[in-house]
Amino acid sequence: MPILILKALTLALRFNSTGRVKGHAFNAHSSRRIPARLQWLGTIVRLEDADGILLHTGTVIQNEQISGGPHLVHIDGDWLFEVSPDENGKDIPGPQSVGYLSKLEQWHPRLFIIVIACLISAFAIWRWGIDFLIAIALSLTPSLFVEGLDTVNLAALDQTLARETQLPAETRNHVQATFAKLITKVEAPQWGQYKLYFRDIPSIGPNAFALPGGTIVITDQLIKKFETDKDIIAAVLGHEIAHVSKKHSLTQLYRAGSLYLLITLTAGDVGPFLEDIIQEGNLLLSLGYSRHHEAEADRIGIRIAQDAGYDGAALARFFEYIEQEEKQDDAFSWYATHPSNLDRIKQIKSHAQQIK
Amino acid sequence: MIMTQGATHKVVFTGDAKTYFGIWIKNIFLSIITLGIYSAWAKVQRRKYFAQNTIIDGRRFDYHATGKQIFIGRLIVIGGIITLAIPIINILAFIGLIIAIPALLNRSIAFNAQMTSFSGIRFGFKGTYGGSFLTFILYPVLSVFTLYLTYPFVARAVHRYTIGNSSYGTAKFNFDSPIGPFYKAFLLAIGWAIVAFIVAFIVLGGSHLIAALIAGAQQGLNPAILIFQIIGLYAALFIAVLPAMFIYQAFLRNAVYASTSLEGGHRFVSNVSPLQLMGITISNALACVFTLGLLVPWAHVRMSRYLADHTYVIAAGSLDSFISQEQVKVSAIGDAYTDLEGIDLGIAI
Repeated sequence: MPILILKALTLALRFNSTGRVKGHAFNAHSSRRIPARLQWLGTIVRLEDADGILLHTGTVIQNEQISGGPHLVHIDGDWLFEVSPDENGKDIPGPQSVGYLSKLEQWHPRLFIIVIACLISAFAIWRWGIDFLIAIALSLTPSLFVEGLDTVNLAALDQTLARETQLPAETRNHVQATFAKLITKVEAPQWGQYKLYFRDIPSIGPNAFALPGGTIVITDQLIKKFETDKDIIAAVLGHEIAHVSKKHSLTQLYRAGSLYLLITLTAGDVGPFLEDIIQEGNLLLSLGYSRHHEAEADRIGIRIAQDAGYDGAALARFFEYIEQEEKQDDAFSWYATHPSNLDRIKQIKSHAQQIK
Repeated sequence: MIMTQGATHKVVFTGDAKTYFGIWIKNIFLSIITLGIYSAWAKVQRRKYFAQNTIIDGRRFDYHATGKQIFIGRLIVIGGIITLAIPIINILAFIGLIIAIPALLNRSIAFNAQMTSFSGIRFGFKGTYGGSFLTFILYPVLSVFTLYLTYPFVARAVHRYTIGNSSYGTAKFNFDSPIGPFYKAFLLAIGWAIVAFIVAFIVLGGSHLIAALIAGAQQGLNPAILIFQIIGLYAALFIAVLPAMFIYQAFLRNAVYASTSLEGGHRFVSNVSPLQLMGITISNALACVFTLGLLVPWAHVRMSRYLADHTYVIAAGSLDSFISQEQVKVSAIGDAYTDLEGIDLGIAI
């Protein structure tokens, strides 16, 4: 004890700083809120209650404050002193959590520049940053995962809508031969390999689709419909191969995830309803991207078909058929799935003309 | 010590949009220029600001996690996500993750409880693997098979598990509710949605529109002509059904607070109104959209103030008599996992 007092005296002589503030004291082991005063002499602080009875003597471990919060003084011996908002806690001796960054949050003309900088970079991230993130994510995605997606989705399809193909082996061999020719005209997929499956799926009619790992499924209905028109089958297959080679499905999946992650990590929790708006908006945007992807797959598919010796413009005939078919169908599905068949047919024809 | 009589304390929120705007925009700015690294420190400051400005009986909440803790937790989780991308190892990593999810959720809840204090004393949470598995995985999956008709049981189980295993110092929270209030919230919301949908559809002439579409299609008309009507109908139906969400949230919150108690006889009251909750949420969202997000901090403060204004603690005695408890330290991994995966446990607080 005498040593402590001596030390206190020398420090007091050295700094000659003293003062006192009002507030509330808490001991770490109890929720008791004690109206108290904090006095200091040099680096020694003395905590006493409203009646002047000593609670604790010690040194300050940390004096912290965030914008809009109270001064919180942590004192050795597990004591906490909360300075009243109308008192000045800045002069209390001891390490202060230096907020050199907290200057940035003060209301000052500088804040306006920060706002502008944030708006500009938010736009830049949305415009370019997300594409960059997707590219990284795509390059890190392992084959095993993507091939797994293919296997699982195909199995799910077989369990629900699809039945085994009813086509004669001869027909299938012809289509497989076409497919083999087509895939020599395009680079190998990043994951897995191009494989063609035949399935009987009455519920989706003449149709074909691609999974990200190179699995392409064509329906018996499509082949039966266009058995005599090899070019249509080749062009449709070319279109699906293009979806795989351009990684369209995973790109869309990653885009939906990355925008959400970026917003929550930078802006923090944006609140319930706004979060829904962002997610819905994201969905609408991804619809826009899916149209862009369809157009790209049309162009590349035509090119693949032409290179393999087929007539790429036959793709337009396929959509003309769909257009005819669906006119007779109910109006809603027509609208929802193919908002611009006629446009698309026009573009396919002009593109096929160009690369001939 | 003199025991004071029981008293009702209104929760007070003292944050203001101006101060929080400065903190918020600075956090975004630094998060962007550090490529996201600062977001861990930003999270801490945000939580601290809201905790320190929430006051009951003159006593503040506080948040004690450090940016470094959160950052390390996030690094580990990102490391885990990367191992999911390495061939062969990833099968093991994936199985490991599935097994670990209940434990991760427990740790997330425990970390947030331990890092939060009130009147100088920390909260705590002690869950079990089995309890977490049943509550967050098995029950929700089972409710799908009942077409979500048993969903109120899931909601009650979530609150019973999280609140019932929480504590404040040595005092335990208790959650005990009959199923009635949960079904009330659920059925009122669903009922509103169905009635509003039918009424809006008839009033807005949805059947005429469909008839027009079919007639148009038969004559080879391009349905795109009707696109604005279709979008209009969709939007109107959306707006009509929207209140269901707030009816559910408000009734759920009120029911949860009414069924929660803290050892020592302390009780809680929430009297949030669905209409006000909806008004605030929607006007908040619109204000944010039209200001390019710059009013997000204002919206946040406004919502916190509304919720505080409608929350009360009925203390059985003095709030001075709680005692702290030694706790096993929990790392920030679970918290980082729920953050990065965007997992919301749906607890009505």
